[in-house]
Amino acid sequence: MVMGNSHMAMTRTNKLAVIASHCQDSHFLYPMKNWGSSDGATDDASCSGDGKYELLSVTNNVIAEEMRNIMLKTEIKGNSTATLLAGSLAKALCYIHRVSKELAVGQEMKSRILVVKASEDCALQYMNFMNVIFAAQKQNILIDACVLDSDSGLLQQACDITGGLYLKIPQKVALAQYLLWVFLPDTEQRSQLVLPPPAHVDYRAACFCHQNLIEIGYVCSVCLSIFCKFSPICSTCQTAFKIQLPQMVKPKKKKLKQSI
Amino acid sequence: MDEEPERAKRWEGGYERTWEVLKEDESGSLRASVEEILYQAKRKRVMETHGQVRLGMMRHLYVVIDCSRSMEDQDLKPNRLSSTLKVLHPPPTFSTSKGVGIITTKNKRAEKLTELAGNPKKHVAALRKAVDTVCAGEPSLYNALSLAVHTLKHMPGHTSREVLIVLSSLTTCDPSNIYELIKTLKSLKVRVSVIGLSAEVRVCTVLTRETGGFYHVILDESHFKELLMLHVKPPPASASSECSLIRMGFPQHCVASLSDQDAKPSFSMSQLDGDSPGLSLSGYFCPQCHAKYTELPVECKVCGLTLVSAPHLARSFHHLFPLQAFTESPVEQHTDRSCQGCQGRLKDRSVFSCPSCFSSFCMDCDLFIHDSLHCCPCCIHGPSVS
Repeated sequence: MVMGNSHMAMTRTNKLAVIASHCQDSHFLYPMKNWGSSDGATDDASCSGDGKYELLSVTNNVIAEEMRNIMLKTEIKGNSTATLLAGSLAKALCYIHRVSKELAVGQEMKSRILVVKASEDCALQYMNFMNVIFAAQKQNILIDACVLDSDSGLLQQACDITGGLYLKIPQKVALAQYLLWVFLPDTEQRSQLVLPPPAHVDYRAACFCHQNLIEIGYVCSVCLSIFCKFSPICSTCQTAFKIQLPQMVKPKKKKLKQSI
Repeated sequence: MDEEPERAKRWEGGYERTWEVLKEDESGSLRASVEEILYQAKRKRVMETHGQVRLGMMRHLYVVIDCSRSMEDQDLKPNRLSSTLKVLHPPPTFSTSKGVGIITTKNKRAEKLTELAGNPKKHVAALRKAVDTVCAGEPSLYNALSLAVHTLKHMPGHTSREVLIVLSSLTTCDPSNIYELIKTLKSLKVRVSVIGLSAEVRVCTVLTRETGGFYHVILDESHFKELLMLHVKPPPASASSECSLIRMGFPQHCVASLSDQDAKPSFSMSQLDGDSPGLSLSGYFCPQCHAKYTELPVECKVCGLTLVSAPHLARSFHHLFPLQAFTESPVEQHTDRSCQGCQGRLKDRSVFSCPSCFSSFCMDCDLFIHDSLHCCPCCIHGPSVS
């Protein structure tokens, strides 16, 4: 929340949105859905008496309230620990798209997404995740990642492709400090600062048959599935492949030399 | 007259009273109905899917840009040439094209601006320089096509060979019979599509019909962009194209740190083209022959292995698994007044629902999801989605 406040305090026109993502759903913590209609009612309740910037106090209260609601209301079904990151990113992109369309003519807004992640990757989400990353790259939206627990290959790729920063925090106690130091500055200011070096991203593909990472593989030209060994039929699209046979070389008939 | 499928011409009643489609609203502006027409066209594009047809995913594409005198015309601001170059930048990623090359034609000749290459950086640089070219003379369709075919005919059979021509002139100056060339193109299975900037030209109609491409004439600049996007989708593969397993390498990006004693700076193979910065510590090493390259995708000059990275292939997956079109319904049927994607209010006339998860989206989100995102934000919350 400290970081959210400082982001909004930096420039008057900065805007903020916070999404919570857990294993079943993702939910917009701020701003709330029926924001426009209930403005009058909440204003009295949240008027803070200590001279804080009005918007910041409203934000803090709303975020805390919604977080409490989510923790109380959701019942945990199943025991997967992976959060649905691709879905939350997709919703974030839709939101950014809407907000950038609502701008007045001539204004432009640079957006970035910061992901704070504590759980592991979900391997099933690979394709959706890649779709979301390419959509973000097309819209010039940076994706930064702040990882608390275990390294995430998907987020490393996302940060590398969109041009954002990936950081695995060594000391969890200093979370606020890392957020303010590394992720708060804009893209223009980042070139002036000395930030943690980019992580080495493993872009090798995994083969479809064994899920091993391979360096040289065979790609089916119809369905783009990757295999580690040559096989006459593609297992995904059932196409039979033409096997290149070695060319038969006909022995050249030697012309008999006529001895004169 | 030979047996051609003649599109309905104006005097045959094909274009009936187009002015009646436009309606003014109370302030006299046509904006609402123009937006409606554009929106219907976009929806049509989304609805048209080929179904379960094998697509030609690996493509070699030549883009031919006409640089003749008619490109100096001012009907597209600032002139047609700049407008074309603006539309081509940023270069749309034609789905897994193994290579895109650019050819320009003017003064009755054709010349290759860039060779077939997978990495768009060279093309972007060449296009930027091309803004200053002087447009003169007449274009030559024959020369441009024969130059393209000269390279394309050596490409392997499993890729689809395509040429996209942006033609603004109404004439072409050819050294010999272009109908013979069309027959050759058809036998080599090269698919030629034309985007016309002036008017419909019969030679182009015959050319595209015989080779199986598309011919469109633009209405304005945004229509130009949309027509270009039409060619981004992979075309249905011809029945005789061979399918094979292609051997590819997935190199790792190796960065040697400055403190490592054994790290030696080395030249990369792109030095051979003469335009790379020089010695570098990091790069991609080919898994077969350890030749160094600075960028992917590239074909290794030493051993001939195609080097790609996994995201390059992933970029085209959405063509293989297209997103279903959303069903449209009037807004009164929905009591919940917010869009599930962007959390905004549903203020348009119709609401779009995903057929599998029944969540509702507004019109902007629908277009965004189908154009860029290619996956429904609510469907991917299900735990069993792969």
